[in-house]
Amino acid sequence: MGLRLRILLLGLWLGFFATAGAHAAVTLVMVSSDRSGAYLEAAEALLGELERTGLPRAEVLHLTPLEFSGAGPLAPKLFVALGTQAALTLGKAEVRAPVLSTLLPRASFERVLLESGRKVSSQFSALYLDQPLSRQLDLIELALPAVRRLGALWGPESQGQAPALKALAQSRGLDLVQATVAGNESLFPGLSQVLEHSDLLLALADPQIYNSGSIQNILLASFRAKVPMMAFSPAYVRAGALLALHVSPSQIGLQAATMARGVLQGKSLSAVPLYSQDFQVSVNGHVARSLGLSLDADDLRARLWHREGAR
Amino acid sequence: MRPGSVRSRLLLAALLPVTLLAVLMAVVFVTVRVIDLEELHDQQFRSLARQLATASEYGLFSGNIVQLEVIAKGALLEADVQAVTILDAQSRRVIVVGKSSFLTHPTAGVRESLHLDNASGIDRVLQPVMETQVKLDDLFALDQGEDMRVPQVLGHVVIEFSHRSMHQRARNMVLVSGMVALGGLLFGYFLALLLGRGLIRPIDRVSDMIARIASGDLSARGEVLPHDPLRNVQQGLNQMAERLESGRDELDQRIATATLALRQKKEEAEAATLAKSRFLAAASHDLRQPTQALGLFVARLAQLSHPESTRQLVGHLEASVQALQDLLDGLLDLSRLDANAVQVQLRPFALADIFDPIRVSLTSVAADKGVRLRVRPTEVWVMSDPALLQRIVLNLASNAVRYTEKGGVLVACRLTGGGQQVRIEVWDSGVGIAPEHHEAIFTEFYQIGNRERDRSKGMGLGLNIVERTARLLGHKLQMGSRLGRGTRFCLEVPLVAPGTAAAQPVQPENRTFDDLGGILVLVIEDDALAREGMVSLLESWDCNVWVADGLSAALRGLNAGLVPGLIVSDYRLRGGENGIDTISAVRLACGRAVPACLISGDTDPTVIRQANAAGLTLLHKPVRPAKLRSLVRRLADLRVQGGGVDLM
Repeated sequence: MGLRLRILLLGLWLGFFATAGAHAAVTLVMVSSDRSGAYLEAAEALLGELERTGLPRAEVLHLTPLEFSGAGPLAPKLFVALGTQAALTLGKAEVRAPVLSTLLPRASFERVLLESGRKVSSQFSALYLDQPLSRQLDLIELALPAVRRLGALWGPESQGQAPALKALAQSRGLDLVQATVAGNESLFPGLSQVLEHSDLLLALADPQIYNSGSIQNILLASFRAKVPMMAFSPAYVRAGALLALHVSPSQIGLQAATMARGVLQGKSLSAVPLYSQDFQVSVNGHVARSLGLSLDADDLRARLWHREGAR
Repeated sequence: MRPGSVRSRLLLAALLPVTLLAVLMAVVFVTVRVIDLEELHDQQFRSLARQLATASEYGLFSGNIVQLEVIAKGALLEADVQAVTILDAQSRRVIVVGKSSFLTHPTAGVRESLHLDNASGIDRVLQPVMETQVKLDDLFALDQGEDMRVPQVLGHVVIEFSHRSMHQRARNMVLVSGMVALGGLLFGYFLALLLGRGLIRPIDRVSDMIARIASGDLSARGEVLPHDPLRNVQQGLNQMAERLESGRDELDQRIATATLALRQKKEEAEAATLAKSRFLAAASHDLRQPTQALGLFVARLAQLSHPESTRQLVGHLEASVQALQDLLDGLLDLSRLDANAVQVQLRPFALADIFDPIRVSLTSVAADKGVRLRVRPTEVWVMSDPALLQRIVLNLASNAVRYTEKGGVLVACRLTGGGQQVRIEVWDSGVGIAPEHHEAIFTEFYQIGNRERDRSKGMGLGLNIVERTARLLGHKLQMGSRLGRGTRFCLEVPLVAPGTAAAQPVQPENRTFDDLGGILVLVIEDDALAREGMVSLLESWDCNVWVADGLSAALRGLNAGLVPGLIVSDYRLRGGENGIDTISAVRLACGRAVPACLISGDTDPTVIRQANAAGLTLLHKPVRPAKLRSLVRRLADLRVQGGGVDLM
């Protein structure tokens, strides 16, 4: 038997299995923007929870957007997208099963909707990565009760939340000091203006404002103005923000698994995109001490959790 | 120090590599250090620019001009910084401190860049001011592709700097390197001197020793030291000096021995010569007295009338006495030549004046032998002493006649030497002289082929006298001869114009003596025989003779009233008296300088000199009657002319 023949036979054999696998009762297709770091953590949490609740791993197909595009027609009961890229791929694909997009900020999901031309429905819904504004304000009340003036810097992607925040702040008796930075102008004038009149800078995810290049100078400016920053991810806390309210990938994974379980059991997907139920609080002890504050992340989380449970 | 001396060569050998090494090291060191310095210098300003960029980030982000100015001014304090310019993201000049040489700066790019401006000597380093990247690994960042984000340029920092301080440092370094190299060189020089001394000293020592030996000091020795690098040379030199010294000593010894032997031989020879001279002098003196008397007696005898047979006998007797007197004359001539007592009186005269007497005197002898004698007449005049020249030519001619048995003898002269000289030639067709005898014939008593010493062949004095007389006159004498064919003698005499001086022809000896009558002659002679001969001869010339055997007898005669007209005194008198003193005493007693002559058998040169000094004519025994008569007549003339006399 020649070498070439052997390779051909092996290829046929592998192809048989792949085809058989693909068509053998794929209940859930998970498309992940990447297979590393946070994506893997979230995927593992999701798969582990599904398996725990009775869905064998063999019935879940885990693909990257590229693999998904290359694969043949799939007919699972549910598509789960991890990350913006995966959500966009699934949004543009003609799939019959409902699509749950998760591990993406609200702004990104809205951009996916815009780009794919789909509407939010029980067929195309999301679980956001951001924290709801009300929870953030709750945490501010718990951690920094002395804050009366709340500062916010809006960029193109985050600008849409401005009215909601303004309303919420007013309802809680807080003054909202805000400034908008256009796409091509320096953010320092707006920043300094906000910092000058506020007690706390609330950072809301917007890559135009908050990115790896600008964060250092923003934090430096806020530090000089003695205005602490509350951010949306632990990376900002590590960079110098006082505290952050965020959700971990495994928390997202777990919640996504619960939602997938519901769909698999015949329920329909939530027609409204959801925020994560669980959350985490991170505190930069150095910054807190330098500001004369004493904050404990676990305590804050517990109190916030308790406050939400009581509500 | 001489160039090329051992010391300078050693120094050169030691110093040249050190110098090259030192210079090379210095050049390499300085070059490397200068390159390092330049790199460091640039590096320093790059670092400064980076620091400045980092420090300016927030100032640029926040547009904080005051802060930027403070930072820029701080940077300006650094050495060599000429100006600091901070540009914003749009390349607008936000801050300029210091004296900027440029209106614009190239700001393209997000990388640090270095611009060298050779014209102004000002370099610029451009450093972009970038946002500090804080790594955000949260889900938002991942979702938004944060890791792909290009950092934003907030502006640029430009530092202009000069190289002045660096150049100063480089100059200092060159100076230090030069000094270090120089120090190394000096150290090497002293080290070479120190080490070289160990070699140069032995060389100097050996050189000194060689110089001493060269100057003749063979006793020079060098010390052989155990650690001397030239130990073998020194030893060899010492051995050589020892051998040279012993060789020289041996040679000196030999020379001394040989010199001593030579001196002894010379002294022996001199003693022999002296003995011979004394013997000759003594013998001739002793012979003269009787010969004198004999001659006088024979002359007297010949004047008497005799029968024919007796007259013939007297003729033979006269001939024998003549031969004897010739021999004694020869000896006398030798003595005079030995004593340098022959006075040369050069004057011009006609050569014919001496040729004619020669012909007269030899014709009869030649005719007797059957030899043809030709004396070729001549008109030339020569510069010489006529008496001495005549003696030479006569000697040569008579020799020629003597040694010729058949054929002829020719005496002639011809001009030579470019017309300046006259060559007098005497040819004969006689036996000739073998070449081996050519040199020896001029020595005393040398005769060829006369072992039996035949008297008729002479005594062998002739040629010796001829040669010495010719030398005395300064005339060149040559001889050419072939055995059995004949001989030719040539004598070169300077030529003069005819009639240059008044001719003084040789006084003919044959004079009549009838005019001597009446003169009183005082004869002082201690030898009775000689006295008798003299008296009889003088009386035959009609002289009145008064005889004294010494001074006392003479003085007695004077006291008796006798007045001498002429004094003839023997030199050597009885009782240690001598003729010179006696004559002067007689003259004193007479009160006037009576003409006088001295007769002596002594050929002692001192006598001749004393006679000359006293102004007295000295006649040697045996006195020939003709000669005595001539002298007596001359002295008598002086007496007649006027008392005082100035004797030659």
